[in-house]
Amino acid sequence: MASLEFDAVSKSYDQQHWTLRDLSFTVSDGEFLVLVGPSGCGKTTALRMLAGFEDISQGEIRIGGVRINETPPRERDIAMVFQNYALYPHMTVADNIGYGLKVRGMAKAERRARVVKTAEMLGLSAELDRKPSQLSGGQRQRVAMGRAIVREPQAFLMDEPLSNLDARLRVRMRTEIARLQRDLNVTTVYVTHDQVEAMTMADRVAVMNGGLLQQLDTPQRIYAHPANLFVATFIGSPAMNILKADLSKRDDQVWCKVGDYSFPLPASTLNANPGIRAALGTTIAIGVRPNAVTVTGGQYPNGLPGEVRIAEGLGSEVLAHIEVAASRVETEAASEAPDLPLGHTDTSIIVASLKEESLIARGERVTLTFDSEHIHFFDPQTGASLRSGAATAPSSAPTLADLSTAVQAAGAERVV
Amino acid sequence: MLNSATASRRPLGAGSTLRGVRALARADRARGWLFLLPALAAYGMFVLWPLANSVKYSFYNWDGINPAKWVGLSNYGQVFSNAALYSAIEHSGILIIFFSFLPTGLGLALAAFMRSAIAGRLGTVARVVIFLPQVVALVAAGIAWSWLLGYSGAINQIFYTPIDAVLKLVGLGAAKQAWLGSFQFALPGVGLIGVWVMLGFCTVLLTVGMGKIDPSLYEASQLDGAGPVREFFDITLPSLRQEIGVCLTVTMIAALSAFDIVYISTQGGPANQTMVPGLEIYLLAFTNREVGLASALAIVLVALVVVCIVPIQWYVNRGTQS
Repeated sequence: MASLEFDAVSKSYDQQHWTLRDLSFTVSDGEFLVLVGPSGCGKTTALRMLAGFEDISQGEIRIGGVRINETPPRERDIAMVFQNYALYPHMTVADNIGYGLKVRGMAKAERRARVVKTAEMLGLSAELDRKPSQLSGGQRQRVAMGRAIVREPQAFLMDEPLSNLDARLRVRMRTEIARLQRDLNVTTVYVTHDQVEAMTMADRVAVMNGGLLQQLDTPQRIYAHPANLFVATFIGSPAMNILKADLSKRDDQVWCKVGDYSFPLPASTLNANPGIRAALGTTIAIGVRPNAVTVTGGQYPNGLPGEVRIAEGLGSEVLAHIEVAASRVETEAASEAPDLPLGHTDTSIIVASLKEESLIARGERVTLTFDSEHIHFFDPQTGASLRSGAATAPSSAPTLADLSTAVQAAGAERVV
Repeated sequence: MLNSATASRRPLGAGSTLRGVRALARADRARGWLFLLPALAAYGMFVLWPLANSVKYSFYNWDGINPAKWVGLSNYGQVFSNAALYSAIEHSGILIIFFSFLPTGLGLALAAFMRSAIAGRLGTVARVVIFLPQVVALVAAGIAWSWLLGYSGAINQIFYTPIDAVLKLVGLGAAKQAWLGSFQFALPGVGLIGVWVMLGFCTVLLTVGMGKIDPSLYEASQLDGAGPVREFFDITLPSLRQEIGVCLTVTMIAALSAFDIVYISTQGGPANQTMVPGLEIYLLAFTNREVGLASALAIVLVALVVVCIVPIQWYVNRGTQS
């Protein structure tokens, strides 16, 4: 087992466009790190650079403190579970699992013993003489795991290993992989676009977008304190509601105004978000998770009036999509949401998570209030959280570089 | 109206439903055969009918004009006892090495080299150049190679002129010779033409096959510690089972039925040293007017093709099923 280090690693295929930029983080010995992000964010590229399948344009990768930029994959002593499992189709399960040992010249008897032991651990004892084409998806996935485990490598790399499984099997294998990793205590880097996998399996999660690391922290802290608008909207399902809000000071109190709804911010919120004071008199973005929205039937003052557009019963909860007269903030996630009335930025759809017994119907008029302790405040230009005290900045449209700078300047989160 | 018509109908039981389904299936099958009919008719007329006639004439003595005379198995006896006919079959066996094994082996090596070392446009150009012999008419290839391998041909000029100078210097005779006129080298010379013609086909087919191998298999084997040689034997070779099977099948048939290259380059000479069944059948049937014997040799050739191809197909299918 060993620690893994990315030190200012960048990747470009043409020295003009950067697939990955200045990626720096350390995965401690035995830690389970999940790289999560949308397609094209650079997470798989980072993993492939670690495996040795992609050249490193800039920076340095170290395994156990040793620079491995020029080390060929076969000498890195790492194992990888591929998205399509990459099982050797002409070999039996036993041969697949034991191939790495055979290549390394291990004696046949010892090899067989280790293969059998690994197969027992994974519940594959009865399948040892079968070919991959005769196995189910879950069994193939376990064979791929077995091939990684049997060599006792310094680190496991996993590239979306559950994406080819059906939903039920995915949940089961998720637990199994997490359990195996804990039992074996092997340093693991796991790539996925599925935030549920990231949140449930990881010791720490690295959220990536546009080739930049957005935030690196524990799942709980990433959910509770997103470093910027991207992380806020990417992590959490349903996604966080993002609205425009005006900040002002009146009667020695800081007020936040969303649409026609004004509410004072308590001292604890101001202390937790020092950037708010610097943003007084400006428009910022606030984020409210669906479970921090309180919905009251009828329309009252001291709340944000709205009308229920859709009510989705999920069994354990009801998701109410409520249209309110408040400007929304265009984010990557929001622009992909199909239920927003595109072209009308002065109205927004707020999603509220209600208890299953809530009797709410389409067309019902309601009033929304927010729990100010659980509101997230962001600079609408840079996207950075105001927890850090970052100043509202660039007048031009934010670029990824701006976002990165702002996120790095934020510093409150473990952003690199 | 509709109600009364429906009411007067006998209710459909399980048996009648099954009968209905069977009738539909029969109609579908009949329609399918109807579509196959033109192709089947052509196949029957141009393949099955001549084959059946060949089998029939192989039991007769016939000069192609006068009435055929039944001779039983004596034509077959002659095929295996007549040294000239038997050696033609032997020559076919030797040509299999040149037409089939060498191009497949060299094609594998070339395809693996092109996959790892030549990428992009250069790879495309290399593939086209290697495939070119396939688009050259075999007759043209035969003429060109008989010039190249002649006494004053390019092969002697390029390779043997300097050697001859050295040989003469040490008091030995010349190495230069007309390769296709040599008892010793004529058959390998014809084989060389076969290598040249078949190599392009095998290389392109195997290159395409290699392109279909999942790259993650190579990546997985690299992480498992495999080097290029192990990768070739553990990943590439087993993954190309089907393509290798096709290469061997096509080239073996070409070797066993070789005619044009031999006819153009050596006409079976010198002294039948390059005589092959294809050419022998032609000469027996149309020059010697021994149609029965030619037919028997043709049937033996067909049997030989089947004997060679069936194990290859079995090997390929076994791999595909597993």
